[in-house]
Amino acid sequence: MSQHTTLTRRHFLKTSSIAGGGLVVGFSLMGCGDTSPALRSAEGTMAPNAFLQIGTDNTVTFYCPRDEMGQGASTGLATLIAEELDVAPWHFDVQWAGVHPDYNNPDFGVQGTGGSTSLKAHYEQLRQVGANTRAVIIEAAAGLLGVNASQLSTDDGHVISGSKRLPYGDFVNAAALLQAPEQAPLKPPHGFKYIGKDFSRIDAMAKATGTAEFGIDVDIENLHHAVVKRCPVAGGTVATYDATAALAVAGVSDVVEIGSGIAVVAQKYWAAKKGLQALEVQWQMPKLASVSTADVKRDYQAALGVADDQALIGSEAGDLEQGFAEADHIVEGEYWAPYLAHAPMEPMNAIVRIENGEADVWTGSQGVGAAQGLVARYAGLAKENVRSHNTYLGGAFGRRGTLTHVIEATQVAVATGKPIQVLWSREDDLQSGVYRPASLMQVKAGVTDEGKITAWQATRVGGNISPETMANMMPALLPTAVGDGTIDWVVGLADSAFKGWVVDGSSVEGLAEDYDTGSHQVRHTTVDHGLPLTFWRSVGHSYTAFAKETAIDELAARADIDPVAFRLKNLTQNPRLQNVVRLAGEHMQQMQVAPGRALGFAAHHSFATDVAEIAEVSVSDGKIHVHRVVCVVDCGIAVNPDVVRAQMEGAVMYGLTAALHGNLELEKGQVVESNFHNYPILRMDEAPEVEVIIVDSGTSPTGVGEPGLPPIAPAVANAVFAATGQRLRSLPLQLA
Amino acid sequence: MISFTLNDETVTTDDTPDTPLLWVIRDTFKLKGSKYGCGAGLCGACTMHVDGVAMRTCVLPVAAVAGKSITTIEGLGTPDNLHPLQAAWIEHNVPQCGYCQSGQIMSAAAMLATNAAPSADDVDQAMSGNICRCGCYPRIKKAILATADKTDLATEAQA
Repeated sequence: MSQHTTLTRRHFLKTSSIAGGGLVVGFSLMGCGDTSPALRSAEGTMAPNAFLQIGTDNTVTFYCPRDEMGQGASTGLATLIAEELDVAPWHFDVQWAGVHPDYNNPDFGVQGTGGSTSLKAHYEQLRQVGANTRAVIIEAAAGLLGVNASQLSTDDGHVISGSKRLPYGDFVNAAALLQAPEQAPLKPPHGFKYIGKDFSRIDAMAKATGTAEFGIDVDIENLHHAVVKRCPVAGGTVATYDATAALAVAGVSDVVEIGSGIAVVAQKYWAAKKGLQALEVQWQMPKLASVSTADVKRDYQAALGVADDQALIGSEAGDLEQGFAEADHIVEGEYWAPYLAHAPMEPMNAIVRIENGEADVWTGSQGVGAAQGLVARYAGLAKENVRSHNTYLGGAFGRRGTLTHVIEATQVAVATGKPIQVLWSREDDLQSGVYRPASLMQVKAGVTDEGKITAWQATRVGGNISPETMANMMPALLPTAVGDGTIDWVVGLADSAFKGWVVDGSSVEGLAEDYDTGSHQVRHTTVDHGLPLTFWRSVGHSYTAFAKETAIDELAARADIDPVAFRLKNLTQNPRLQNVVRLAGEHMQQMQVAPGRALGFAAHHSFATDVAEIAEVSVSDGKIHVHRVVCVVDCGIAVNPDVVRAQMEGAVMYGLTAALHGNLELEKGQVVESNFHNYPILRMDEAPEVEVIIVDSGTSPTGVGEPGLPPIAPAVANAVFAATGQRLRSLPLQLA
Repeated sequence: MISFTLNDETVTTDDTPDTPLLWVIRDTFKLKGSKYGCGAGLCGACTMHVDGVAMRTCVLPVAAVAGKSITTIEGLGTPDNLHPLQAAWIEHNVPQCGYCQSGQIMSAAAMLATNAAPSADDVDQAMSGNICRCGCYPRIKKAILATADKTDLATEAQA
């Protein structure tokens, strides 16, 4: 566990002054301009720490520190506390935490959700919270019942004393006056009651009945709706505009210029939308306006051509020259992955209300603190005067870490003096968004007749992910007092560093880490045309695994060795991934493959988790059909195995959309794809059956939301090779 | 003024006739269970029943439903009185982010109303207008087929 966790844990175990009728103790949320709802602890409750509140009526409120974007974090994190508190997680009332350092992601040190970290980062911390709270309730019960604590046990929110079964709520007032222990003993894994068991997600009911509240659903008094016309080319600015026709549309109240374009405001969304259609704007076009996809590919190709002289070295080991000299075969291939949009089902939206020097923001984001920071900066307020309210996220996949819509809502609210909801259309989402970068990759590798890899050189050309994301985050996370000029300077410095001196780890992750390669070298050249970039489910792995696992298949074929046996032979330094490959290989041998179909295999390590996938594929009418996918995953202890299975299924589907359809084209700097007719998403009639096999493990949980994605595209491509002999090296996969 | 039946109650709106039904339901009648996903009838997140037929309401002008009966997810079932599909959704742990699920359930309910014993292919056909970006398709299909099986049994038991 990181230092952050330790500090945080020590913090919230500290006893603080008694407040709210003498019922709040051990409360760490002190000072720091708290906007957390947990602070407003009501009478008749016990709030032993930032995460929990237990009422005399035995209600357990859990202030969930991570965002729920579908990955099941709220169920999983509740389960961690539930296990040690001994209250069934489905009895928890889950509320979203406000902004406070106690809710930071222990892996990040800021209040962000992403990188498949939630269960991994909070595994120890939240179990300890549950254990300490249960211990203090038992101590209080022992005192009130006049028995020794060792005579008491617990069961699902009740203290058991002999034949008596008494709710925790009976003891919370007394417990609130005691000091909770800091390190109450944790259960051994074999004693787990809820961890490792299947049960329905705690948000399933709300999501099956339309009662789950997403950002788009929030409604407040006098809410006005804003839609924004942005330059069709990213980075363009308003030259001139004429609001006359837009203002003439019934219901339109305001037309205002903001940083990203022109906003049209009305009391109802549809009126604003009609106003937008009537709006006329001329744009000052940026440099990107001269760039089309063919230019991007040409420039990447040119950079690859001079990589020997100009690429930066990301990592290297061993003697590459000697490695190639020892090889009996050298395989070389170029791999292409296009720009992609995240396209979560809920388009971007945010509500901002500014009143009497204070503000509220409601948005489903991957960073509740970032939303607060942006409102503070753009409304000219101190952060402690901005309350940031999270909601369920209608999908995110990395997209909801970039909060341009929060800036827009703030600017419109400032300009109009009205509470504002900004809602992006699907066209806005696809054409004015932030994107998975395009990549041109090259792998050159050597292999012996015996199937040992002797040399591995991988090169990537494209834009960088980290500096842009940093540029988005800095205005949100730095104090409002740090001026925009300073931020621009730091961001510019970082940007040129990644272009000229250091390789952005996110851009090349996964290119060379998994196999014993004898010698290896990872190279990178930044070529960036200015389309905004960010994290996209599984980040760099989303394209590097395609290049790496296709190249591995090519090497196996060249050495004339079974692809699974070939991988096993070259994974001796990576036993967990090797084990996953072995299990998947054994499963593959048992699979009955229908005539006309073929199997493809791929494996990849990402977000500390190991995954192997087998795709069963057929080819007909010039199309690739994926019938079945088997996924073997080792993610340590599966806190909720069914949620793990669902994440693997979902990652396979998300990855198949990218493998079979995903493509954004640039035409004079503008994204061509505008809605689901030309940016197709996998639909049910194309969706394969997915069988998920979770490796039994007693080690701490690792990532789950992303690692299922990287292997699917190469597994399908390798299956197409097995079926047709065609080696597909370009995404989306298309038959020759 | 346009009147129609919304979840068994007669309602009237002065929204302009070209306003898509989705926005009338969400902004005027404040029922937020039906979602906006594409605004072009391509993703199904906005699906409601119009006289029992599943329709994409983000492209359906409110004028077109005058005098008709609209059912939204709120009218299909509630946490205290679940529609069998909603119960199956929970049992099969279908939702991930959950945003598309109201539309998925409304499409499924309309299909089952006309085809009580669908094949897997029937389900594929009926449900392929609904996008789930989280990729819950295998579970959606399982939940629908399980509901159909149960409903079938119930019907047979009554017969």
